[in-house]
Amino acid sequence: MVDLLFYVAAGVSVLCALGVVVSANPVQSVMMLLGSFVGIALIYLLAGFQFLAAIQILVYGGAIMVLFLFVVMLLNQGDPVVLAREQGVLRKEQLAVGLAVAGSALAVLLVAVVRTDLPRPIFGYLWPEGGLDPLLGMAQAMFGPYVLAFEGASVLLLATAVGVMTLAKRQRSTPVAAANEEVSA
Amino acid sequence: MSFVIILIKGALIYGGLLGTAAAMTLAERKVSAWMQLRIGPNRVGPGGLLQPLADGIKFIFKEEVTPDGANKGIFRLGPIMAAVPAMLTIAVIPFAGETTIFGIDFGLLSLTDLDIGLLFVLALSGLSVYGGILGGWASNSKYSLLGGLRASAQMVSYELSLIMTALTVVALSGSMNLREIVEVQNTGNFLDWHCFTPVVGQVGLILFVITTFAETNRHPFDFAECEPELVGGFHTEYSSMKFALFFLGEYCAMTVMACLTTVLFLGGYSVPFWEDAPWIVQVGTFMTKTAFFLFLFIWVRWTLPRFRYDQLMNLGWKVFFPIALANLLLAGAVISLS
Repeated sequence: MVDLLFYVAAGVSVLCALGVVVSANPVQSVMMLLGSFVGIALIYLLAGFQFLAAIQILVYGGAIMVLFLFVVMLLNQGDPVVLAREQGVLRKEQLAVGLAVAGSALAVLLVAVVRTDLPRPIFGYLWPEGGLDPLLGMAQAMFGPYVLAFEGASVLLLATAVGVMTLAKRQRSTPVAAANEEVSA
Repeated sequence: MSFVIILIKGALIYGGLLGTAAAMTLAERKVSAWMQLRIGPNRVGPGGLLQPLADGIKFIFKEEVTPDGANKGIFRLGPIMAAVPAMLTIAVIPFAGETTIFGIDFGLLSLTDLDIGLLFVLALSGLSVYGGILGGWASNSKYSLLGGLRASAQMVSYELSLIMTALTVVALSGSMNLREIVEVQNTGNFLDWHCFTPVVGQVGLILFVITTFAETNRHPFDFAECEPELVGGFHTEYSSMKFALFFLGEYCAMTVMACLTTVLFLGGYSVPFWEDAPWIVQVGTFMTKTAFFLFLFIWVRWTLPRFRYDQLMNLGWKVFFPIALANLLLAGAVISLS
């Protein structure tokens, strides 16, 4: 049962990933990416990592993909079908470059997987021995040995968020402020 | 045997959820009628009780219209994405503790007992945003698109406050498992319910209830529909059962959110002064508490006017989110002091 589920999840995520690249319509691509993420979340679940699976859906599915959709809808690039007819969905050069990148990534990954001493997953999944408390283990690792790295990453993200906001705000407010100065002068 | 028990539980819980959703459509119309000194639907069945059934039949027999230039596949996906996540989340809600019916041990009266139950609900309810956005975009109409965009921005914004407020309860009870959250509160003394934790509990409860209104796109935050500006918002172009699915999703989401508020803040199935109450009393208590929050949804809808869109965004980001963060900090202080 678990074997079958693993292959279904893996197949769905691979097919959806392919769909992201192939579909002509950007909204369809985003939905395919969502399907791929759901497949990956299912694989996490099968491996016993409930927390990771839920976070995958919550963060990628519920937040990031929604923002992607938001941006795709706000940027109106015209009728996707017409665009695809004019430009071609996949031009030959794009296809060649894409295949080269994907192929080399796959090769590197294969070499890495074959040469490491990690315990081999049997039929594609790994049960944690003796069951694993998904939350407690994660929390202890995060706030125990890795607390500095974890908090450092959050400070970095905060800095990015503040930086982005300052930049966006400055661009928007400058013309208005200049106009106000002119009026007062 | 255990498989049969799961099937029975599933039938009970999903029957209950869909039944509640149907009853809510009637309650909405009846309550609004009473509030406006009208009678409300009273033709179908005794006192209008069979109205939801009549509505359902009517929806099935209506013509299905797909607008020209709509993206067919995604147009069909929209209502599904609105209804399915809302229905899935009920699976982790515990309705009663140890249950024995006719001598058969049913265990905990919930479909699954996940360690990450709360996270499961939040993650899946986050997915219900897609119904509005996809439906709005695929309809190929400006009103639908605006409604969809508003729904997405609103739900992503309020989700943060919702999660932060839910985290205070996780901190107070030390678990994300909904059964354990209830068991922490089920001590026979109702002052142990999280809503009676000084300051933290009350602020949390109020914030949580208001953000659930925004999450389910209900009045006074129903900008995704907003009839005076957007005709019907994201479901302007939908008809027949597709339209009904959007509504089913909304009412299911309301029911689940009411259940979740009960579990997190009102002690779930715990009965005041009676720690080991039999399961039927526990289910009754749970349903009474949930019914109050469901009534609150209707009550507020027919009492308060709609916000303005910028007010909604300011409220979410500049008021609720800081308060939720401060409340989480305060909860930390309360826990370390006690």
